[in-house]
Amino acid sequence: MSKYAELTTILREQRFLIAALEEMGYRAELHQDGAHLIGYEGKERPEVAHVIIRRSQLRPASNDIGFARAPDGRLVALLSEYDQAVGYDRAWLGRVQQLYKEKQTVSAAKAKGYIFKGKEVIRTANGPQIRLQFVTR
Amino acid sequence: MQEKTITILIDENGDSSIDLEGFAGSGCGKALDDFRGDDRMRLERKKPSYYSQTTSDQQQQNKR
Repeated sequence: MSKYAELTTILREQRFLIAALEEMGYRAELHQDGAHLIGYEGKERPEVAHVIIRRSQLRPASNDIGFARAPDGRLVALLSEYDQAVGYDRAWLGRVQQLYKEKQTVSAAKAKGYIFKGKEVIRTANGPQIRLQFVTR
Repeated sequence: MQEKTITILIDENGDSSIDLEGFAGSGCGKALDDFRGDDRMRLERKKPSYYSQTTSDQQQQNKR
């Protein structure tokens, strides 16, 4: 039997999000109870997030970037309009989700006993795609 | 025994597709669940090879 399925990635597990951000060069803070984001002028913003990239790691006039835990357990990105305009945009978030999905997939496969056969990065006009292959007996 | 392979393609938006080959019976659904995790399923379909295998099986049965 052969099957094909398409999935929309949902960010839910903090450890894979933090690992994805780390691979992109960020040291994210983890706040179990949430913490306020800080704006470009150094003042506290009203938004509260559970995973935070502080603005010192971003562009000079950036605000903090956060991921807030929603009531349904999803981690939702909090990005200011300014930051989206200077590069922390849909493509940036797509890269975060891509690395998250890679790490989550490899971890899940290992836990369930699948054998990792290889990873290939495919260059496309829209950006890199990641191909992972596993086998099982 | 045919090797069972799982190929995951993660696109530039972080969304993915799963391609399962060589599975039989409920093993196919289990593998899909194992790799799906918390993600939302947008599309699920059996591949042409599934139907050709089913047709082949039926032809075998008809010969008996």
